[in-house]
Amino acid sequence: MRPPSPSIPEREFLLSALKQNLRLDGRDFLEIRPIQLSFGPELGWVECSLGKTRVLAHIDAKMVKPQPERPFEGVITIHSEISPMASSEFELGRPSEEEVTITRMLDKVIRRSDVVDKESLCILAGQRVWHLRLTIHCLSDSGNLLDCACLASIVALKHFRRPDVEVIGEEVTVVCSNPFFVQPLEPQLDYLPSLQHEPTSRAPIPLSLHHTPYCFTFAFFSDASINPVLDPSLLEQRLNEGLISIALNAQRELCVVQKSGGVPLEPADVLKIVNFAVQKAKILDTFVESRLREDWQGRSVEVR
Amino acid sequence: MFEFTSFRRPPETFSVSSPDNADADMDEDYEDFLESGETKLTWPGESLTSAQDYMRGHGTYVDNEQVIASVTGIVERVNKLITVRAARTRYNPEVGDLVVGRITEVQPRRWKVDANSRQDAILMLSSVNLPGGVQRRKLESDELQMRTFFEEGDLLVAEVQSFFGDGSMSLHTRSLSYGKLRNGQLATVPPILIRRLKSHFISLPCGVDLILGLNGYIWVNKHVKQNEREGEEGFDAEAVYSSRNDEIDESTRAAISRVTNLITVLVSHSIPLTDTILLDAYDWSLEQECDP
Amino acid sequence: MSSRIEILNAGGYRSDGRRQYELRTINIDLFPQGSAADGFATLSHGLTQVSVCVFGPREAKLRSQTFHDRANVNIEVGIAAFSSSERRRRGRGDKRILEISQTLKSTFDPVIQSSLYPRSQIDIYVQVLQQDGGLLQACINATTLALANAGIPLTDFVCAVTSGVHSTSPLLDLTLLEENDLPNVTVAVMPRSGKVSLVTMETRLHVDRFEEIFRLAGEAGKIIHAEMKKAVKDRTERLVAPMQSLGRPATGENDY
Repeated sequence: MRPPSPSIPEREFLLSALKQNLRLDGRDFLEIRPIQLSFGPELGWVECSLGKTRVLAHIDAKMVKPQPERPFEGVITIHSEISPMASSEFELGRPSEEEVTITRMLDKVIRRSDVVDKESLCILAGQRVWHLRLTIHCLSDSGNLLDCACLASIVALKHFRRPDVEVIGEEVTVVCSNPFFVQPLEPQLDYLPSLQHEPTSRAPIPLSLHHTPYCFTFAFFSDASINPVLDPSLLEQRLNEGLISIALNAQRELCVVQKSGGVPLEPADVLKIVNFAVQKAKILDTFVESRLREDWQGRSVEVR
Repeated sequence: MFEFTSFRRPPETFSVSSPDNADADMDEDYEDFLESGETKLTWPGESLTSAQDYMRGHGTYVDNEQVIASVTGIVERVNKLITVRAARTRYNPEVGDLVVGRITEVQPRRWKVDANSRQDAILMLSSVNLPGGVQRRKLESDELQMRTFFEEGDLLVAEVQSFFGDGSMSLHTRSLSYGKLRNGQLATVPPILIRRLKSHFISLPCGVDLILGLNGYIWVNKHVKQNEREGEEGFDAEAVYSSRNDEIDESTRAAISRVTNLITVLVSHSIPLTDTILLDAYDWSLEQECDP
Repeated sequence: MSSRIEILNAGGYRSDGRRQYELRTINIDLFPQGSAADGFATLSHGLTQVSVCVFGPREAKLRSQTFHDRANVNIEVGIAAFSSSERRRRGRGDKRILEISQTLKSTFDPVIQSSLYPRSQIDIYVQVLQQDGGLLQACINATTLALANAGIPLTDFVCAVTSGVHSTSPLLDLTLLEENDLPNVTVAVMPRSGKVSLVTMETRLHVDRFEEIFRLAGEAGKIIHAEMKKAVKDRTERLVAPMQSLGRPATGENDY
């Protein structure tokens, strides 16, 4: 079943507004909706919202045997589910076109662009490595799920701390058994399991990341007089006639550029969009860093 | 594997730094051609002429005040109208065309007919001759026994009657020469190779009849005597809607296969089919004494 | 494995003996061997080979998939299990296959003038026979050719090419070996307007380098276009020549 497309008057209204350089939510064409990052009690639990689009990302780590062909590398898997909870357009079981795009894009941004230093996840070569599981839940879709999901995943990776281990010979001991160990100061969270801490336990350590890519999606329309729109809202996303997604880090390195079909663009316009994304990435990077720092300061690391 | 790649070194190479000018001769001026009468080929995205001086026809579109081809084929000009006729495409019906089709679906009061076009054609129950006289009212009982006239898989010859709003065609078989087909074999050819002829019912002297459907479906069958086809006064419904083949003797069978194979051969060299060409080819093939 | 092979040696040659800006041999076959397809093309860029069949416009199979104002373009991609060095069967639900077919669909949807065929369906079947880098490029080019052959109205050709960069030297039309090692971008251009309808890049690359290879790929697309045009022209000539010598067809026949 195809989802019902927006009605004709809605479409006409949006397009005529865009032609007059107006967006329905009052934003500038190249303005991102307000970003909110909230962190859960657990490390590596991040809820990211872009306007009313909300995505939850969660990371957990466990020890596994490495793949035989890559004995020195840890494993990262991404589980994403876009359930009907996000929007009635999604069905359980059968992935929609959009869902395929989002999962493939996440895979490219997080895994293929080598965000996490996989070799640092190795505990004992050929015997034990860390397996990171990134789970993404789309809580509500009001346009541009992709950027929101990418941001949530990246921030979760930066927020996460993995337990420290001690290797003596072939013996692996977890010296900080659970990231729960780090507790926020809020008093109501006393339901957390009380842990038997070893006297030698150490603080969990952050993942070593090569870089932090951010994803930006621009929508454009077949009418040449309409400029590209950054961070499309739900209606804009449904009515656009072409998308270009750019993932890049604050060091001016592109990780993924994806414009699959849609309205053709002048090469110069593509480069203009890319250069604009470069500036945005820097701003977003400082924002993310400051939010992470704030959160970190609010937590106490109990090392006895 | 890597050595293998190097063995396959291109004999001719195309490099960006020195683009060859192979396409220079293809971009020659179309204006000249438009004045002369020679054949000009084109392909999608090729600019034909200015839109101010000429009108765009089928197979073209206008962008930036230029008439641009959208299909691969031959450029044609009628006064100020530029059209491009595709070298190969599906059948584009016109009212009055004779087509051969195949029933794909029986629906309430209508049949759907595959006629090699962009949509299935429709044959209304009201557009066929019913048993018991040419002019008679359709009864409810006719609706209930539509499959006794045509059922899925039947072949028929019909004429394009009109078009529906969405561009699909409506057929009719309200003539004694139209109707169900039997006693023969179907050949499928590109529709552009079927020329518009005075009559599309061709009788070859070898005892074979041909129906050249303009949609590219050709029916090759045993010769039907003139009086049999037209029928008697009483319009023999049994015979018209019968699905059983008559006795066909061996020499006729051989002739039918020979003609069908000739059609296949001619079409593979994209030679347009007319009665004279087919007849010449038939005689020639007999002279060569080769098996069909 | 690949780190032992020199991508670009001191003499300026690549592992398969090409120069930096040299494209692989393009082989195009537009004559179907016994296929009932309306349009057909087999195209190879070096050792990458893709075969495409186009059926239609024809009656839509499912009524739910018809549009009242345009044709439905349906693309299915199959990757042969024997196409790569590692034998691997990919089912229809494979994410990579889904992604390629979705990319092809959104590339060709704006190019095909589907509004001329309301309620019909155009089926495009893509079969990958050999993979040696530039898979998407070959799929796009072959599909363009097959559509042009089927007489389906297109606004323009779509010509795709990959390009990569080895330290600071840009390379064109990468083989699998180069593709695995180098940051690379696939660009599809529409030669008439010079506009870009597809850009994909999946590896880390500095913005300035990206700009360089992006422009280069755009230029190379024009060379590919010349080749494709030549193939289409040859085929059309072969089809039309006998018809011309035997008298021009009656006017008004088979027009749109």
